Amino acid sequence: MSEHLPEKTRNWSVLTPYLLVAPTVILVFLFTVYPSFQTIYQSLFQPGLSRSDPPIFVGLQNYVDLFDSTHFLGSRLMLIFRNTLVFAGATVAISLPIALVMALLVNRRVRGLALWRFSFFYPTVLPLIGAASIWAFLYADTVGLINTVLRSLGLPSVNWTGDPNVVLLSVTVVNIWKQTGFYMIFYLAGLQSIPRDIYEAAALDGAGYFQQLFRLTLPLLRRTTLFLLIVSFTYAFQTVEHLQVLNQGNPADRGNLLLYFVFQLIGSRRNLGYVNAITVILVGLLLIFTISNFLIFERGGDDDQ
Amino acid sequence: MTSERNRWSIVADVLTGLLALIWLLPLIFTILMSLRPSNVPITVGNIFIGCGPFEELDVLCRFTLDNYYEAWLVAPWLQHLLTSVLVVIGVLGVQMITMTLAGYAFAKLRFRGRGLLLGFILLQLMIPTGVLLVQNLTLVRELGVFDTRWALMMPYWGTAFGVLLIRQTFRGVPTDLEEAARIDGANTLQILARVYVPLSLPTYVAFALVSISARWNEFLWPFIATRTAEVRPLTVALNQLYQTTEVGAQYGELMAGTLLVIAPLVVLFLLFQRRFIESFASSGIK
Repeated sequence: MSEHLPEKTRNWSVLTPYLLVAPTVILVFLFTVYPSFQTIYQSLFQPGLSRSDPPIFVGLQNYVDLFDSTHFLGSRLMLIFRNTLVFAGATVAISLPIALVMALLVNRRVRGLALWRFSFFYPTVLPLIGAASIWAFLYADTVGLINTVLRSLGLPSVNWTGDPNVVLLSVTVVNIWKQTGFYMIFYLAGLQSIPRDIYEAAALDGAGYFQQLFRLTLPLLRRTTLFLLIVSFTYAFQTVEHLQVLNQGNPADRGNLLLYFVFQLIGSRRNLGYVNAITVILVGLLLIFTISNFLIFERGGDDDQ
Repeated sequence: MTSERNRWSIVADVLTGLLALIWLLPLIFTILMSLRPSNVPITVGNIFIGCGPFEELDVLCRFTLDNYYEAWLVAPWLQHLLTSVLVVIGVLGVQMITMTLAGYAFAKLRFRGRGLLLGFILLQLMIPTGVLLVQNLTLVRELGVFDTRWALMMPYWGTAFGVLLIRQTFRGVPTDLEEAARIDGANTLQILARVYVPLSLPTYVAFALVSISARWNEFLWPFIATRTAEVRPLTVALNQLYQTTEVGAQYGELMAGTLLVIAPLVVLFLLFQRRFIESFASSGIK
């Protein structure tokens, strides 16, 4: 009996690491890995005609349909896909420069720092659906702030969430307003990691502020910018909740986005195969970005084998 | 030289103020609207406050809390608040445990398959849970937790981000401290509770702020994973309020409802500004 004890203890300590990581590994398997494989697998099926019929294997037909512009969902997906790219691209192109300017402004010796920081960052902590409900009212057709101001200037009012040519812009502006402060903090961290004596040396050489900005600061922030480009682009694929309040993807999908489209289709059993296929496409896109992020930033930076 | 410097610094100050104003305006406008009597229409000369042009000084008498009262009556807010709070606590509590256990193993123990298992967990960072709506809906149905608060919590119990964050912190804890405790007869769990966790509190706070705001703000998943009003969080209730009231007619009520939902986080942020910003920064680069 006493001879068994040390053996038992040793076995136990061999198992310890696995027991410690088990909860996380199991949860990640259950809610990330397993659903991912299910999504891929079920994207190869069409639901049976009635609820009791088994699903019908269709191979890649769902994907073929989705990329067929004459198909009822395919035509919508093309438009929504394009919208999503415009939405993501515009969010990145506009919010990153503003974020940099905000960081430069906040990184000075200024009075009222807490107020400025609050102003720029508070939208980040709001629920997107709350931000949307604020903006829905700013955008409102007759009573909204923006249209009232336009009218008081003698300009025609704009149907911000109903005009097919404007709606995507309106939806993007909300996202920019919400995300820019978040990206600002990364630029701020980047700025604060630049040693001050570099600037002192440049000033001695007679370089003015803007010369320092473009020759020193921006090149030194290149890593931050690259990181933010990837992160903000990936985020834009996932930040769609404001559509629920602003326009629900209308008019005629001109203001619709990929993930919101998935959300809209979830209720209909008939489209289950397609919903899975669209999710596969969406996840595939996100994987491209996150993997490139890992390759750029994690390679060699980790001491694990 | 100095005067030119001053001129630029004034330009920068003005720009700061202007940008801040643009960013604050939606919030200011929301607050004013929520206080505006519903019978005072928004007109060109009377945008901000519910007063005529010559009564601007008479502001307070025109402000009203009626909108809050009306909004309060529309939905069982306390129920929704309870759900939001329970979900936030229920997620964070379990996350703290799972990430501490796994984070310790990955930081301090050597075992076969360590890199492989860590890589497996990192899959969660590449495939965001929020995107797998369809299959997670099927899953919670199969698990029998559809339309319960559990459905809102379980997908988030395991956290790759948390594991990475705490692993990094635990690595900085000297192993001597652990060995001293072990000589005193403490087992692994006791060592975690007595040595590692107390030394890593700032990391836990940073993680908590990110986790709390993510769960508090979530909408799509709670919307599809629940049906009964009492297990739906505040974000879903706000959407309900939105869909059932008329934007043009009951804007005051809508803005009051919006403020009720966003106030807790804004206040939390006001109190812990610095910590919030630091912890959100840690959610990006490690």
